[in-house]
Amino acid sequence: MTASRFWARFLLPGGLWLLLLFAVPLGLTVAVSFGTTNELGLPIYGWHPENYKHVFDPLFVPVLWRSVLYAALTTLFCLLLGYPVAYTIARFGGRWKNVLIVAVVLPFFVNYLVRTYAWVTILSDDGLLNHILGSIGLSSVRFLNTPFAVIGGLTYGYLAFMILPVYAALDRMDPALIEAGKDLYGTPSRTFWHVTWPTTFQGVLGGCVLVFLPAVGDFVSAQLLGGPNTFMVGNLIQQQFYEGQNWPFGSALTIVMMAFLMVWMVFYLRSAARAAREAAA
Amino acid sequence: MSNDPWGRPITRRSLIQRGAGLALGASAVGGLAACGVGSQKASTQATEKVVKAQVDGNLVYFNYSEYIDPGVLKAFEKHYNVKVTQAYYDGMAGMMSKLNSGNVYDVIFPSAEYLDRLRKANRLLKIDHSQLRNVNQALEFSPYFANPWYDPGAAHSVPYTMYTTGIGWRSDKIGETLTGSWADLWNEKAKGKIFVLDDYQEALGMGNLRNGFDLNTTDSGQLSKTKQLLIGQKPLLRGYSTDTVTNMTNGSAWIHHIWNGDIVNVRNQVKNPEVFKFETAKEGIPIGSDTFAIPTNAAHPGTALLFIDWMLQPENAAKNIEYIGYPMPNKDGYSAFSGLVKEQPSINVTVEQLQAANKYQFRDLPQADLQLWNDTWTAVKAA
Amino acid sequence: MKEFDRPRFLILVTVLFYVLLFAPILVVALFSFNSTKSLAVFQGFSLRWYREFFNDASLRSSLVASLEISAVTMILATFLGTTLAFGLVRAQVRVSPVANILMLVPLVTPEIVAGVSALLLFTQFNVKLSLLTVMLAQTTFSISYVTVVVRARLAALNREQEDAAMDLGATRLGALRLVTLPALWPAILSSGLLVFALTFDDFVLSFFTSGVSPQPLPVRIYSAIRFGIRPTINAVGTFMLLISLLIIGLAIALPWLLGDRRAGFRLITGDEG
Repeated sequence: MTASRFWARFLLPGGLWLLLLFAVPLGLTVAVSFGTTNELGLPIYGWHPENYKHVFDPLFVPVLWRSVLYAALTTLFCLLLGYPVAYTIARFGGRWKNVLIVAVVLPFFVNYLVRTYAWVTILSDDGLLNHILGSIGLSSVRFLNTPFAVIGGLTYGYLAFMILPVYAALDRMDPALIEAGKDLYGTPSRTFWHVTWPTTFQGVLGGCVLVFLPAVGDFVSAQLLGGPNTFMVGNLIQQQFYEGQNWPFGSALTIVMMAFLMVWMVFYLRSAARAAREAAA
Repeated sequence: MSNDPWGRPITRRSLIQRGAGLALGASAVGGLAACGVGSQKASTQATEKVVKAQVDGNLVYFNYSEYIDPGVLKAFEKHYNVKVTQAYYDGMAGMMSKLNSGNVYDVIFPSAEYLDRLRKANRLLKIDHSQLRNVNQALEFSPYFANPWYDPGAAHSVPYTMYTTGIGWRSDKIGETLTGSWADLWNEKAKGKIFVLDDYQEALGMGNLRNGFDLNTTDSGQLSKTKQLLIGQKPLLRGYSTDTVTNMTNGSAWIHHIWNGDIVNVRNQVKNPEVFKFETAKEGIPIGSDTFAIPTNAAHPGTALLFIDWMLQPENAAKNIEYIGYPMPNKDGYSAFSGLVKEQPSINVTVEQLQAANKYQFRDLPQADLQLWNDTWTAVKAA
Repeated sequence: MKEFDRPRFLILVTVLFYVLLFAPILVVALFSFNSTKSLAVFQGFSLRWYREFFNDASLRSSLVASLEISAVTMILATFLGTTLAFGLVRAQVRVSPVANILMLVPLVTPEIVAGVSALLLFTQFNVKLSLLTVMLAQTTFSISYVTVVVRARLAALNREQEDAAMDLGATRLGALRLVTLPALWPAILSSGLLVFALTFDDFVLSFFTSGVSPQPLPVRIYSAIRFGIRPTINAVGTFMLLISLLIIGLAIALPWLLGDRRAGFRLITGDEG
């Protein structure tokens, strides 16, 4: 038998598993999204495409829009904070580069909930931060239950996803390029924009995708840190499955969100493929 | 990743084509699979299972948090040498959701209208009264409980508590008295420190009452007005939550949409109980009762029966009342509640009030109306 | 060759970044040793919250449950992911692109979508939610991590040794066992350990697919946060951090010990070396 046939068999275990436990459930979600509910709140199948129309009800459009906005702001802040940090580590880290990078990832391995809850205790009205403010004579500020707390929480949660790809791109870059750039462009900032930034752009794009996509569907930050006006689509979906007892509508929301994110994913893959082709050329 | 393993360049088109094919295939399989499965109405057979009150395993208990005396629970564990696994929900809708996910619990605490719904769907075990030695403590407390509207003959439930919904506040933060109306939940002085119950029935019901509508109205015009009312309230709110005891004790709440007994629970835990007060509203307040029930798929119904019996023992009921602050319909244990009422008369709720308050009890709604209520609540939350 | 002067601004930002990054971790760790219930003022050193943690039967059983789930998921995902990697790199069949997509999509699927679809799968086929359902769901979404890491390493492997082995009479499977797998071992192991750590900490997927009891630790923590904040959570969080640190330390150290010096760090930085 040919080598290819031999190795093709290896596709089976993983492939079948993913088919049965990933693709089929997604299909089920699509099927349920067209259904309706019985008297106990259980889904029954049918053909109710109005569930999708309901997703774009003017009532929910603000929620969808808000999720995209928060996720976009989160991505922006991650970039603004993460790029300089990655740059500093890559260019000036020296012997400590690896340690510094591991230090970035470390907090990520404390449970996301516990980290978010830590921010709750720090930011709450009787919490650490307000305690400090009080001791220097300032009145307590309401940090918690605001959109800022939610975006802050999201940024904090996903920073590592931005820093790692950007760092990898910066680390791979040939320092000689920057030297050449300095000769060519003179000032550090022009060198950055004309040399460093374009070279690392794919890394930046990868980081943006890794932050933006999960952030859109996040519900923990909004739930623990947010107030009544910070409902995101993730909260909406969770609510429909938990108290709202409307699994079909929740499924429709899920599919719509998934489709929206897939568009960005495809865009990113095309861009990455093009960059790879150009690099090879 | 510019070429696929077959050497052809990956284009957006080919990706989409492959992805769509995969998705369609998956949907087809999913849809076909779904055709054979679905939710069927449970038969009455399961409800008729004969169960004896004896230890048949550890108890899986599903209830609101802070709604039972931990001491009484521990004593139960010790007495029968079983373990109690505690799971919590934050509302009836959450409870239904977990039940619908197929989770298995031994004893649950539905409110009257939810008991009605579960009973009609044949999801609750028939409770043989002869198995509960103390059952008459509850059923003979009042004819109302011997044959309640939500469970004829009390065949599937035993009453747990009676409750009312009102407003809790801190007199040290906003003054000694409020106006005695639901409008107090819109108090400007407490802006950002107000909580409304994260419960679609309670929140919408409160809005309905403030608007002068029926508590259980299903008129879409009226519900729409209530929706607007509640959306207008949001800027004043700190949040929606049923975690009333925590919110009041940790200082986040100055005014809280709250159940009567919780204020007693709060006062038991703070250093300055006299500033925590409770009031009812002149527009009318919801009044109701919670029950013990055993789901048909309970794994250890025998232990569940023993547990219910344990809670009905007068000494245990009295202790429980003092901890949770709610009256339990219990012939000999009820007097513990009178002591609490003396301190804060507004929390009082009697079975006579319960009997008379037909308009002010939550009712089980037909599916379409329930959906309307759920959609209205979702709209309020999402706005 | 003169480098840029260390721009003070960048250093400042970076330092601030690390402070912000570790602040909650330190708060959690610090207050896990607090002698009182307060979450704002540290009033003395005490191990009481750790004692409460280990005395709480349900928290203990949650911890054990999480460890079990992570271990099983690690083994399953490693096996499935590695075989899939081999198939993707070395087979040139028509289904390969489909398999590739099938493998990539879980990586970008938001957790809530994963949770919802897994929940639907189990409920619609009347499978009771339990530790098993959590394991199944977690494995499904871990396979891709293993495949991506192993594939990168596999693609970079020099096939001459394998070919040489086969010239000397070994079967394909034999060459696989004797040559390829040992070379891949660091990648397989470290991706497996990564899966362990990620599964141990995962919340959303477990939230949707876990049954009544025992619940994985993160779900238990969520319950505790929602229904009464207790300082014990800080002890639990710190403890989980220590376990995760241990696992990550292993993930980095093992390849290094087994000879592939840079593999560990590369795993973290995502370099496909």
